[in-house]
Amino acid sequence: MIESKLGERVFSTPDIQQRVQEVAHHISADYSGKRPLLISILRGAAYFTMDLTRHLTIPFDLDFMSLSSFKTGFKKIEIDKDVSEEMANRDVLIVEDIIDTGLTLNFLFRVMEKRFPASIAACTFLDCPERRFIEVPVKYSCFKIPDIFVVGYGLDFRGDYRNLMEVSTLFDPSGRSTQILKQMGKGGTK
Amino acid sequence: MDYPIIITISRETESLGDEIALRLAEVLGLELIDRESVSSLLLSSGYEDLPESIDKEKFLSWAISVRDVVVKRAHHRPVVFLGRGGQKIFESEPDAFHVLIVTSPEMRLQRTMEKYRQDEVTASHILVELDRKREKFLLETMGANWKDPVMYHLVLNTAFYPVERACETIMEAMKNVVVPVRHAEQPTLFDNLDFGGKKVDFVHPSEEEFARILDFYGIRWLYEPRQFPLEWDNEGNVIEAFSPDFYLLDFDLFIELTTQKQKLVWRKNRKVRRLRELYPQVKIKVIYSRDYTHLLRKFGVEDNQ
Repeated sequence: MIESKLGERVFSTPDIQQRVQEVAHHISADYSGKRPLLISILRGAAYFTMDLTRHLTIPFDLDFMSLSSFKTGFKKIEIDKDVSEEMANRDVLIVEDIIDTGLTLNFLFRVMEKRFPASIAACTFLDCPERRFIEVPVKYSCFKIPDIFVVGYGLDFRGDYRNLMEVSTLFDPSGRSTQILKQMGKGGTK
Repeated sequence: MDYPIIITISRETESLGDEIALRLAEVLGLELIDRESVSSLLLSSGYEDLPESIDKEKFLSWAISVRDVVVKRAHHRPVVFLGRGGQKIFESEPDAFHVLIVTSPEMRLQRTMEKYRQDEVTASHILVELDRKREKFLLETMGANWKDPVMYHLVLNTAFYPVERACETIMEAMKNVVVPVRHAEQPTLFDNLDFGGKKVDFVHPSEEEFARILDFYGIRWLYEPRQFPLEWDNEGNVIEAFSPDFYLLDFDLFIELTTQKQKLVWRKNRKVRRLRELYPQVKIKVIYSRDYTHLLRKFGVEDNQ
């Protein structure tokens, strides 16, 4: 039933796997001789984190964090699940599914800076700079995407589509997503 | 009447904390110990002052010296200890009374504008920088949430208690302390979140929703804090001006929200272009209707995909 809402494919499974592997190699090189603490932001980044860490060639620690959501009616963002690992003097790498407005990552940086890590950097599966209005440093990103709504590989729409192995748009009756993808030289029917 | 021998005054920048400390010392005949006098006290007692580059270990050693010197001194003549993490240094001192002075963001901004004779935006910058320095000192040294009211016997808002009233209130409160208070030692994750929280008459509901999103993420904002003149007549009178909806203090960024359809925003785009020409140093981001819809969808406020 839910498949009917999908639009065009944006990144295929081989594209994703190849790019995740490349980024993992970058990270391994940059953190050579260190043991970074990877903090995966649940729930969206879970799939990306698993694939990314499989390709790392350096020792690392892995932990998870989840944040309260605006739509749940909280007045201020809270940490639903905090990390168990100590962050002081650690090289922290935040792993996100998508960075768009920069609001969440900015919050994470503010929280983590208070825990005295040796360094903090961010790695994201998708980076959508067109939607950014808070500038945040993104050290690693697998793909930059235009301002379109996508699902799959951890990204959901109302809880659906997270488990798709590729990234697609949702069906967009206005045709805008299709047009943007064409300009990118992308797009393929599911 | 026995007052505590050490009264610590912690304060937000431009909250009148300095004035209250000075007046309290005058009224009660106490010695005022501030940043400068604590340095000379330490040096004259053979201790080192706090180095420029601080860390927790150095601060601890410094704090122990300050505690030793000041407690000894306070037994001869009680003191008002201003700032410098006094609430933490004398945390376990049974004969100490801890006060936090706060006030509204608007009043702090107003006082900063008056003190430095600057416009609102420049004064906001100054305030942000002063807050950042204070925050850095207290965080890196105390590692505690200095704004946690549990650390204090009394928290006073000078928006409601001007200097004289505040001093009277502190004296009255000191008389009525019945049990020594153990202060919370654990910092929280949200030490520096200074939410807008202001009662603002928004022109459009979308602005209010946007403010709620900023508050949710602890992004400090001002609503329409500055008007930029764009056109003048021959006599120099402003005939066109533009007030962006939000100013994000920590990012030095103006935000203009527009929920008009794309084809109707030409007038606003023209104003933004003109603003950028006239004020190239001003950073402004326009959030158009489509961007805003995406934002709302992301936050689950409106989900019409």
